[in-house]
Amino acid sequence: MMNIMRVKSMKVVLTVVLAVTLLLSACGGQANDSGNTLGSSGNSPQGSDNERVKLTILSTAQTQNPESGVEKEFAQAFMDIHPHVEIEFISVPTNDAYAKIITMATSKQLPDIFVNTAEFYTQAYEMGITADLRELFDESFVNGFHPLALEQTEIDGQMVFMPNFTIPMGLLYRADWFEEEGIAPPETWDEFMDAARRLTKDTNGDGIIDRWGFGMVGTKNSSGGSRYVPMMRTFGVKELYQDENGNWETEFDSPESIAFLKLFTDLVFEGLVPPGPLQTGYAEAVTMMANEQIAMMITGPHTIGAVLAQNPDLEGKLAGVPIPKQVEHASTLGLLGYSIYKDSPNKEIAAEYLKFTMEKENAIRWTQVTGRLPSRIEPLQDPAINNDMLSGFVKAMDYAYQIPNVPYYAKVYDYVGEAYQSVILGHETVEEAAARAANSIREEIDRNR
Amino acid sequence: MKSSVGSIARRNQFSGLWFVFPSAVLMLALITYPLMFGGYISLFDTNLINRWDFVGLKYYAQALTDASFRRDIGTTFLYTFLVVAGNFIIGMALALLLNRNIRGRWLFRSILLLPWLIPDVVIALLWKWLFNPMYGLVNHYLTVFGFISQPLDVLGSPDTAMAGIVIASIWKGFPFVMVLLLAGLQSIPKELYEAAEIDGGNALQRFRHVTLPGIMPVLIVALILDTVWFFKHYTVVWLMTSGGPINATNVISISIYQTAFADFQFGRAAAMAVIVFVICYVIGFVYRRLTPAYEN
Repeated sequence: MMNIMRVKSMKVVLTVVLAVTLLLSACGGQANDSGNTLGSSGNSPQGSDNERVKLTILSTAQTQNPESGVEKEFAQAFMDIHPHVEIEFISVPTNDAYAKIITMATSKQLPDIFVNTAEFYTQAYEMGITADLRELFDESFVNGFHPLALEQTEIDGQMVFMPNFTIPMGLLYRADWFEEEGIAPPETWDEFMDAARRLTKDTNGDGIIDRWGFGMVGTKNSSGGSRYVPMMRTFGVKELYQDENGNWETEFDSPESIAFLKLFTDLVFEGLVPPGPLQTGYAEAVTMMANEQIAMMITGPHTIGAVLAQNPDLEGKLAGVPIPKQVEHASTLGLLGYSIYKDSPNKEIAAEYLKFTMEKENAIRWTQVTGRLPSRIEPLQDPAINNDMLSGFVKAMDYAYQIPNVPYYAKVYDYVGEAYQSVILGHETVEEAAARAANSIREEIDRNR
Repeated sequence: MKSSVGSIARRNQFSGLWFVFPSAVLMLALITYPLMFGGYISLFDTNLINRWDFVGLKYYAQALTDASFRRDIGTTFLYTFLVVAGNFIIGMALALLLNRNIRGRWLFRSILLLPWLIPDVVIALLWKWLFNPMYGLVNHYLTVFGFISQPLDVLGSPDTAMAGIVIASIWKGFPFVMVLLLAGLQSIPKELYEAAEIDGGNALQRFRHVTLPGIMPVLIVALILDTVWFFKHYTVVWLMTSGGPINATNVISISIYQTAFADFQFGRAAAMAVIVFVICYVIGFVYRRLTPAYEN
């Protein structure tokens, strides 16, 4: 009898515990917009010059060299001007930034300022975590941004993030090697292939190729996809577009797309890229450029800073041009900037800091050290930026297109990556790979209608 | 008399509950609550902040009818099987060797434990560079010893990428199995081996009839832990191949991570995670049922 009673009471206890857990789960899951009058990390609301203010900034630049040093310089200069302000950075690698922001947002622990990009800003806006920067910046400051850059930061008339810099996709090349060979920077894909063939060679006479014409980022992720798609667009093809009825469609299986996929994979088959292209990510390609193993790569001007950080002897030997064209040039702006947390108690100070980083001298200093171009018109026109090394990338900005604003766009890069990897590995023909990728994209469109 | 015995028994019962209470609270907070919350999320199309659209079991149906999900589960089973088998073969062999009275045994034990102490991130990058077709030591020595004439792109080929990540994972995982089995071996009384020798048993027979039954409880625990650990493994695979090339190494944990943090489909990712949890639970259940010696 005692045992039966014991078992029954244990069951009752366990049932109650489970029910409480379920209830807690349900309550914890629902949105709670009760608001947070304190800033993140327990900051007190911004005060006057006599009250200390702690500004927290979630930055991906802090994990990169040489960007982290320059960003800290700006922060120190701002703190020198505003002694009551203390700036603290939260470092996060670029690949983990979105996961970090989402995690912090769900626990209402977002910092005052957090990194934002053209790929993530619609998600951030939908989550309701971004302040409208048009309410914090005056109109003359807002109008000082490159119009294409500004366009890609706005939703429903709100400025969701401030574009700190842009890394327009272009062709980075070894200007000194081109000069030695008597080759002009390629304007078309035919000129590009010719240059790649001539620059692939055995430089030390041991019978083994040790320099390749092109450094292909062939990984199946956003690094690979974000390079492939603008190149494909130069063939007049769109990976995603809206038709006249507003429905999304893809041209990935069009003859022009297939033609580009063939050109891209022929780079591997002709031996114009180093071994292991499918495992070559951005970091590996930068190292190859720094080690003088490749002559060209599709990338943004920020790579110049990264290459020179590894090999300062390459100063003055690198230059950029827009991505070669078949029909038209194309590029993406690669915007990266900062949003201010909607519930931050330090919005005005945060806005002042962001404006400070955008002052002309700071923007020029940033570009000179990192190679990332300013997104404001005035510094873009300065000769310190519009020089031999960077002018090609500045020109590429004029060919920038807006990345389609759909939540599944990252999946498009995946399908694109699968297509070129499949052809390179000999698993499919270009036609088969293009057809399969196009079907996958259409299925994704249907899933998200 | 009876009532005083009863009240003592009740007091003892509640005392026991109070002792267990702190651990129970921790388990609820750190295990049960996240599990239940994950299940809750799987029923919604949500961004976790301000959008919670109830979809019921839609994401479960989508996952189970999605060919790529089934493909990734199959890849995960293959990866897990190969890694666990490798861990046990190598772990058992080394445990048997280290159980002998050899000189410098403590040194060998320390060295062989090292891979387990190295973080997964370091191991992944280490092996990625070892397999690099241009700079890697694997290609260098295979070429020097004449096994290959052209560099082998181990991680860049769907035929060899799985082997690459399995080797790296076994290198990381075997010490755990080795240590557990060594502890089990040392608990087997020497007299049993002596008796088996007297009865004319050879080495293989002694292993089968003395060693295996003796370490069966530890073996099962190690098997369950190792299987579940590698079934949901992420770090080494992601850093070495990102699930490629062409999904050849796309284990289910990578799919779940991509769905959540690249596609921002948290409900769908949660549904996939719940399915993986059920699979892991069934694996543990099957292991226990298939080992009558453990049950006895």
